[in-house]
Amino acid sequence: MAYYSTSQFKNGLKLMLDGNPCSIINNEIRKPGKGQASNRVKLKDLITGKTLEKTFKSGESLEGADVMELDMQYLYNDGSEWNFMDPSTFDQYVINDNNMDDVRGYLVEQDMCIVTLWNDNPISVTPPNHVILEVVDTDPGLKGDTAGTGGKPATMNTGVVVQVPLFIAIGEQVKVDTRTNEYAGRS
Amino acid sequence: MTVSLNSHIRKKANILKKIRLFFDAQGLLEVQTPSLLNTPTTDVYIDSVSAHVNQDIEPKTQYLHTSPELEMKKLLSQGSGDIYQICQVYRDNEFGEQNFNEFTMLEYYRLGFDTHQLMDDITSLINVLGVKGEMVKLSYAQAFDQFANIDILNTNFDDLKIVAKTHGLSTDFNWIEDLQIFLFVHLIEPAIKKIPICFIYDYPADQSALAKTEGRVAYRFELYLLGVEVANGYNELQNAQAYQQIFERENAKRKQLGKTFSEPDQDFLKQLENSLPQCSGVAIGIERLTSQIIKSD
Repeated sequence: MAYYSTSQFKNGLKLMLDGNPCSIINNEIRKPGKGQASNRVKLKDLITGKTLEKTFKSGESLEGADVMELDMQYLYNDGSEWNFMDPSTFDQYVINDNNMDDVRGYLVEQDMCIVTLWNDNPISVTPPNHVILEVVDTDPGLKGDTAGTGGKPATMNTGVVVQVPLFIAIGEQVKVDTRTNEYAGRS
Repeated sequence: MTVSLNSHIRKKANILKKIRLFFDAQGLLEVQTPSLLNTPTTDVYIDSVSAHVNQDIEPKTQYLHTSPELEMKKLLSQGSGDIYQICQVYRDNEFGEQNFNEFTMLEYYRLGFDTHQLMDDITSLINVLGVKGEMVKLSYAQAFDQFANIDILNTNFDDLKIVAKTHGLSTDFNWIEDLQIFLFVHLIEPAIKKIPICFIYDYPADQSALAKTEGRVAYRFELYLLGVEVANGYNELQNAQAYQQIFERENAKRKQLGKTFSEPDQDFLKQLENSLPQCSGVAIGIERLTSQIIKSD
């Protein structure tokens, strides 16, 4: 794998740090009046999801990480494994249920999502920004309230709980923003 | 002209006018010194921009000043008294969001001042210019103790490398001062980002630059506004011999780093046979200061 020097650092570059693939989310060059330049870098560990702050000496280099982000279709899960397919090659990829904590509630069968591969192994899934989910449980709707001023929790068909307006009833399809877990309108 | 450009140049003009009024009221003399010099700076991590002159007569290389410091010290040694200068300065190989090849510098010297008197004077100046908020003074050692739990003045190079390693940072440094600066950038600067006006003073002697030292500390300070380095000041070295030693040490380091270096400014060393009067001086970056003032408007 190629090595990248600090002068090649930019947002989105994938690097190996302490054995884990990381993605640069912010790169700030700092040159003190009386000292050497350095790069203050914020990185996201793609395995743990944690954000790290590191400073690199100008000229230091790090090994690139073989990370690819591919559009894939979510096929199904059997309770322990989640199955995805790359529609351009029909290759199928499997992710263990343990690694699906943050996204489990937003994946609907047949929907497209982004699967991140490291050394050809899937390590994470990013759902679309908005998904259509069905309300399977919530308090009865209030007929008069159409302004949507109040709110109530509603359980979706994927298990995730989203705050919805009072007028939403069981069986309705709603649009949910997967980045904020917020109701984004009726479908 | 756009409204924002118009407003920006007016603000900058207003700041320059207020700086001149501030110094005039205190009896400082405004000076202009040459910006085209015969010798480049010896500063290890600052590079001069070269200028090729007299191509049609007798070609030679000159250097744009990186700071008016030595030329102003020549005036001080001749008995000029308190002086200030506002000028463009030029530096090669600068990069980053806050660094440019050309910027405006305010440099001034106060006879008889120590660093604390000068820090107080700078605080009055920037208050007049519109920098508001709490002022905090921390010694270099206090800052490292408070924000990183490191006894920076009593930690040797090998032990400091162990500290860097525990933070997952590079330990590949030639000199302890470079590692100190690196750790300052990583551990201290993020911690002082929210302080409106923060002076860091009494630097480790290894980072003395052209400041006087006593024991483990150099009488040097820097000013950070919301974490941005804006000024660098010294209780100035006074005699030629002290300067010569520093220049030679800096040149040796430039050589080791594979950078260009040349004979220190002999004219400066000769002029300093009349020692500099005891004084403190500071360089302030005007664009960085202006952007902090505009931010706090």
